[in-house]
Amino acid sequence: MNVRDLVVAMLPEHLLLAGIVVVIARDLLPGKARDGFVPALAFLLLAAAAAVFLSLIWYQGSPFPGQLSVTPSDLMAKAVILALAVPVLMLTRDDFADGRFPVLLLASLYGIGLILSADSFLTLFVGLELMSLPVYALVVLAFRGPPSAEAALKYLVLGGVASATLLMGAALIFGAGGSLSTAAFVAALGSPDAMAVAGAMLVLAAFFLKAAIVPFHAWAPDAYEGASVPATAFMAVIVKGGVLLAAVRLFAQAPLGGPVADLVAILPLASIVWGNLAAMRQSSFRRMIAYSSIAHAGYLFYALLGEGAGRMQAMLFYVLAYGVMNVLAFAALPRRERDADADRIDSLRGLYSRAPFASLMIAVAMLSLAGIPPLPGFVAKFLIFKNVMAAGYTLYAVLGLVGSYLGIYFYLRVIQLMFMSADVVDDGRGAPRRLMRSASLLSLGAALALMIFPGWFIALF
Amino acid sequence: MSDAGLLNLVLFLPAIGAALLVPMRDEGRMRALSLVAMLVQFALAATLYQRFDAADAGLQFETRLPWIADWGVYYHIGLDGMNVLLVLLTAFLGPLVVAGAFTAITKDVKLFYAMVFAIQFTMVGALVAQDLFLFYLFWEAMMIPMFLIIGIWGGERRVYATLKFVLYTAFGSILMLAAVIYLVVALSGATGATSFAFADLYKSTLPLPVQTVLLAAFALSFAIKVPVVPLHTWLPDAHVEAPTAGSVILAGVLLKMGTYGFMKLGFPLFPDATRLVAPIVMALAVLSIVYGACLALVQTDIKKIIAYSSISHLGYVMLGLISLDLIGIQGAIVQMVSHGLTAAGLFLMVGMIYERCHTRDLAAYGGLAKALPVYSVFFMILTLASIGLPTTSGFTGEFLVLLGAFGASWQAAAQGDTLRLALAVAAVGGVVLGALYMLSFAGRFLFGAVKVPHGTQADLGFRESAILVAIVVAIFWLGLFPAEPLRKTELAAKAYQQLVMTARVPDAAKLAREERR
Repeated sequence: MNVRDLVVAMLPEHLLLAGIVVVIARDLLPGKARDGFVPALAFLLLAAAAAVFLSLIWYQGSPFPGQLSVTPSDLMAKAVILALAVPVLMLTRDDFADGRFPVLLLASLYGIGLILSADSFLTLFVGLELMSLPVYALVVLAFRGPPSAEAALKYLVLGGVASATLLMGAALIFGAGGSLSTAAFVAALGSPDAMAVAGAMLVLAAFFLKAAIVPFHAWAPDAYEGASVPATAFMAVIVKGGVLLAAVRLFAQAPLGGPVADLVAILPLASIVWGNLAAMRQSSFRRMIAYSSIAHAGYLFYALLGEGAGRMQAMLFYVLAYGVMNVLAFAALPRRERDADADRIDSLRGLYSRAPFASLMIAVAMLSLAGIPPLPGFVAKFLIFKNVMAAGYTLYAVLGLVGSYLGIYFYLRVIQLMFMSADVVDDGRGAPRRLMRSASLLSLGAALALMIFPGWFIALF
Repeated sequence: MSDAGLLNLVLFLPAIGAALLVPMRDEGRMRALSLVAMLVQFALAATLYQRFDAADAGLQFETRLPWIADWGVYYHIGLDGMNVLLVLLTAFLGPLVVAGAFTAITKDVKLFYAMVFAIQFTMVGALVAQDLFLFYLFWEAMMIPMFLIIGIWGGERRVYATLKFVLYTAFGSILMLAAVIYLVVALSGATGATSFAFADLYKSTLPLPVQTVLLAAFALSFAIKVPVVPLHTWLPDAHVEAPTAGSVILAGVLLKMGTYGFMKLGFPLFPDATRLVAPIVMALAVLSIVYGACLALVQTDIKKIIAYSSISHLGYVMLGLISLDLIGIQGAIVQMVSHGLTAAGLFLMVGMIYERCHTRDLAAYGGLAKALPVYSVFFMILTLASIGLPTTSGFTGEFLVLLGAFGASWQAAAQGDTLRLALAVAAVGGVVLGALYMLSFAGRFLFGAVKVPHGTQADLGFRESAILVAIVVAIFWLGLFPAEPLRKTELAAKAYQQLVMTARVPDAAKLAREERR
């Protein structure tokens, strides 16, 4: 073990840890209750900056050989996740004034840092647990009666199943190949040994569960609906992005072929189609976003079908574009719609006359999620489908695109309700705080940058 | 400013205008700003048209900057003979749309003009784009402002109409997207370099079956936009529910995007497949002409009559393009512009009468020639232009298209293929039907016993007359002096003909030889 590597390679994680310690310590100090937001934000920004910096100087290091190593692309992935966490953290300010939410959020990000540099299933497992446990707590944190508890419980049970599946898969791979390193997973994919293939499938299933891919998706709508808005945003953007990026890293550059490729194509395709169809029927905004995120997880897994070298690039751009747009939608959501009991799409009716800025932001987010150019969601989708087609999976690409067509309707329905319906009387609850507006402006700025200079980001990834 | 800079300014002026609207509060100023921005855009476009060199077959006023360098996507725009007239038409209709909406739009004025700017931006963008990625971006983005324009300021069934419009066009676009990706991936597989440039894609040599499938995907998207019968059912709903400005944009320019797409992309990208399916396309074009005219004949809603007449008139454009005869192709280009002028004028006039009488039921009207003489004079001129009376633009377009269609089908008939000749004859029948429905419409509308809903109404004011004078002048300009526009489009029409007539892959040549035997 090299101390210098230990310090430098995990610098973003160290900064997150320092943030956790500072926030907790401030909470423990006697005196009036303290706000954990500012230090958490500061350390988060530092961590993101460190990840970007290390990636740009092309840093590569292995502090724990065989367990944990980082490459520039891993660091860029961490940078994207940490940067997306910034507006998510800003969303929490309205709901949680104390230090609990920031601590849990930073802890979960630490877990994502681990899974994005894991070289063995042990590290991967520790990272996944560290990522998930704070999220269970986040879901119940804004306790809003039984739905929150139910959501948290469902998420917890399904999360447990995912962990068990991952462990079982790792055990089978270990049994077949005698190695716990993630490289053994790639070997197992192409192995003639049934045990190894079964192990690889179980590991894949664990990722499908975490990312809410059909048929492992049923927990997502309930969890999204029961949680508070910031927790939902965190689950939909950060956790999902982290898991997907970890999946790309796990597959490394290995070419897919045969049954694995079909599995990686058919279940995500089913997610795209089912997610979009089911989203049409939802009356709750958050449930709709949940189904939309199921469909988007499908597009994201499609990235794995592409050639090895382009996967990370496509995935990073997609995670960034998708994350920015989701955060934008959640940040712009007016206060009334943020309450679980008023969380109905119908209550967005006539929003434009009440809150023009918010409704324009939500409209931009919806159009981008629908993949309509020139918004970044389009370029992201284009990149993925271009890679899939270049890899020779023409049929899957065409089916995926047709599946994405199914999604257009429900995104446009939101716009239709906001802009084309008679106004619903405003019940006079307060406008969102300034921080919320900054979060949406921040996301909008990022979206514009992605829209006008997509080439710059693609070259960066 | 350099000429290339001028074209960029023409393209981005609406975007700048929309940005300037954001902080404004006074509705009068918003209207003034929009009108000024559109007039400047037209002036600049007219300057570009003047400076356009008819003897230069290549791209003029070209800008080419790397945009997504890793994929070979360029911000590449320029004018050639194919788009120069359409850009001029788009810029010409811009101020008329804005001025026409002064009194009609009183709700959410800022959003409305921002959306008009947005659609103007995307339409000009799609026309001048010389890179497939850029083109697709503008092509698809066009849908959103129209979705809002119909959905927010439209009539009673606006939500139904606008969703129908979007779901139709988006379905075509998604398959086209798949074809675009396939085309580029196939090209980069063959040459090793990824490029979206039209010029490079024209050199692709795909086998005939692949070409046919890709052409089908592109054609579906374009044919929905044109629209070609049987994909036309969204159009009457969209037109009827749209506010006047929406109808004018839709009929004036948006529909031409479909025919422009066929001319710039669909046919020249897949020439072997195009020649293979040419009889089918020709049959569909004639079907659109005749069926559209028949439907127009039986309508009782004045907006629907003009909507169906659009289907019929764009059928001529398709006929001219697929005739692959130089005269026919040039006729198609002129017909696009001509239809843009007459349909836009007629929709504006329907809007003017609707603002006064609040009904579109033809039976409610009669004898307007006595009640509203100025209005009636303009209406009659536009009606005659729409029929294709000599000296108007409609005549130039339809005549050249039919001439070209006959020229091509004589040759085919001499070789024993009489189908094309029969179709060309049927298209002439469409002209007669066109005269029938427009004249019977004008007859019931303008003459006979005076019937004006809601009592006497004021005749056209200065603003309305000025708009119509501009359109009428343009119609006669194109009808009386077609030589200059034809000269400027000739080389592009030749290039298009050359591209589509040249066999790209050997098995198509073999097929042609077998046919001859």
